[in-house]
Amino acid sequence: MVRIKHRYLLVNILYPDAKYSPLRPAATAGDDIPYTVQFRRPSPDQMNGGLLMRLIRDGVVELFGDYGSGKIAGSLQVKYFSSATSTAIIRVSREHYRLVWSALTLTTRLPRPVDQPCVIQVVRVSGTIRKAEEEAIRRARLSIRRAEAAAKSSSVSIAGTIPTASTAAAAGDDDFDMINGIEDPDELGDLDDDDDG
Amino acid sequence: MFYDLNVPYSANEAHLSRTLAFISELGYNVVALNHSIVGKLPPQITCAIPDPLPFKDVPPKLEIRRRVTLTLTESYQNARLAELARAYDILAVRPVDERTLQLACSSLDCDIISLDLTQRLPFYFRFKMLSEAVKSGKRFELCYSQGVLGDSAARRNLISNATQLIRASRGRGLIISSEAKATVGCRGPWDAINLATVWGLAQDRGFEAMSKEPRSVVVTAQLKRTSYRGVIDVVYGGEKPALPEKDVRAVDGGEGKGKTKQQATTGLKRKAVNEAVAGADARVEAAAKPISNREAKRRKHQARLSSSDAKEGATNGRVGGGGDTALASADGERKEAGLQPAMEAG
Repeated sequence: MVRIKHRYLLVNILYPDAKYSPLRPAATAGDDIPYTVQFRRPSPDQMNGGLLMRLIRDGVVELFGDYGSGKIAGSLQVKYFSSATSTAIIRVSREHYRLVWSALTLTTRLPRPVDQPCVIQVVRVSGTIRKAEEEAIRRARLSIRRAEAAAKSSSVSIAGTIPTASTAAAAGDDDFDMINGIEDPDELGDLDDDDDG
Repeated sequence: MFYDLNVPYSANEAHLSRTLAFISELGYNVVALNHSIVGKLPPQITCAIPDPLPFKDVPPKLEIRRRVTLTLTESYQNARLAELARAYDILAVRPVDERTLQLACSSLDCDIISLDLTQRLPFYFRFKMLSEAVKSGKRFELCYSQGVLGDSAARRNLISNATQLIRASRGRGLIISSEAKATVGCRGPWDAINLATVWGLAQDRGFEAMSKEPRSVVVTAQLKRTSYRGVIDVVYGGEKPALPEKDVRAVDGGEGKGKTKQQATTGLKRKAVNEAVAGADARVEAAAKPISNREAKRRKHQARLSSSDAKEGATNGRVGGGGDTALASADGERKEAGLQPAMEAG
């Protein structure tokens, strides 16, 4: 019996617009927050794994129709979603992960209860969930460091915002090392993968 | 290094700075701000994009180029294209029909051919035409942003045209860029590569279309504008160190001392000393230089030739004889050169 192989997409939701910033609801512009923190801000509370699942299904139906949605329906699963870091890990079968990926890429808005413009970036495609997890942690760390650097360099005193940024983790992932390829080199490396039979 | 060679320039500072910051956040390293010209060229061609951008929070790691896209309409004049190219870093043309595409592929001196893929194009791409353009260093552009932001018809056309373009160009000489009019239209480099993969471009070709091909566009465009005949360019000539007055004198003094010392030892005048030193150096070099294998072989061959020529010289007279003398003189010279160091040593 051959095991079903999966791909784990480490996904990162970015918010390019300033309007909905929950960090400073009162401030209209929010100019003093560094851009990197603005883009990688926490998702709203209504956003959760189920909503992400719906978003993906709708996207795949729109792009690939019944065929695509039927193909991915069996294996699609949101393994992890953190609204604090706007990070998610999505599982799909290995044959069809590109369908899900392109559906994520062509998403421009989060669905109804949230209804914000967003950009969803896939930062890692991995054969095991453990690799995806390690990568998520690494990127979260990097982006905190980056936010701190940005805060230091901007002359405006943002003593109020930075602790919230680093502790409440407005830190998503970072993309310093995307140059070396996005996919894990180990094609058959999901031996330590314990979540499927 | 990831390149996005089509970010529309807008005079709105807040929007542009946000877009640039976002692109940098997504992982791009080089960005070309695009200015589009439709119709007639203005009488005075100047770069519409200010050189240091007017706002201060440009991401420090982002390299910014200036690009112009000229839509090739019916009444298009070729004469001022070079002038336009000089004003910007990158020149792109946008053909609207098959005739202008043919023109752009064959004769126009542009860097990028950017087709509007969201419209239904009334012609097919042919490999011959595209490969001609790619050979002469032009690149074709796939802009994905219309597929992200546009409606379903635009997306359908984009996918159809992109597939055609990928098929006809066989995946070579393409670049992927965003042409994102809003910040939401930008996508990460790998996301765009995946889109192109779904459209039929192999993943390694997609990666090249994001990194290698646009780099070649940027570099050749720069070479065309700054270098001597596109071959030699001074990247950094180094600063000429300004020698302070005191140092110059000190150096002079040092030389003077050395001269007197030399004169004292050899008892010759400066010129003579210098000549002797130079001559000795040259001879030592000639003697010390080991004969290369190739040279040795050549000499051996010539020796054999001359000996055989000497034998044959009796039978067929003039030709062999001429060769013989030439070889002999050459040998003689070499012998002289070899002898000189020996004489010097003696």
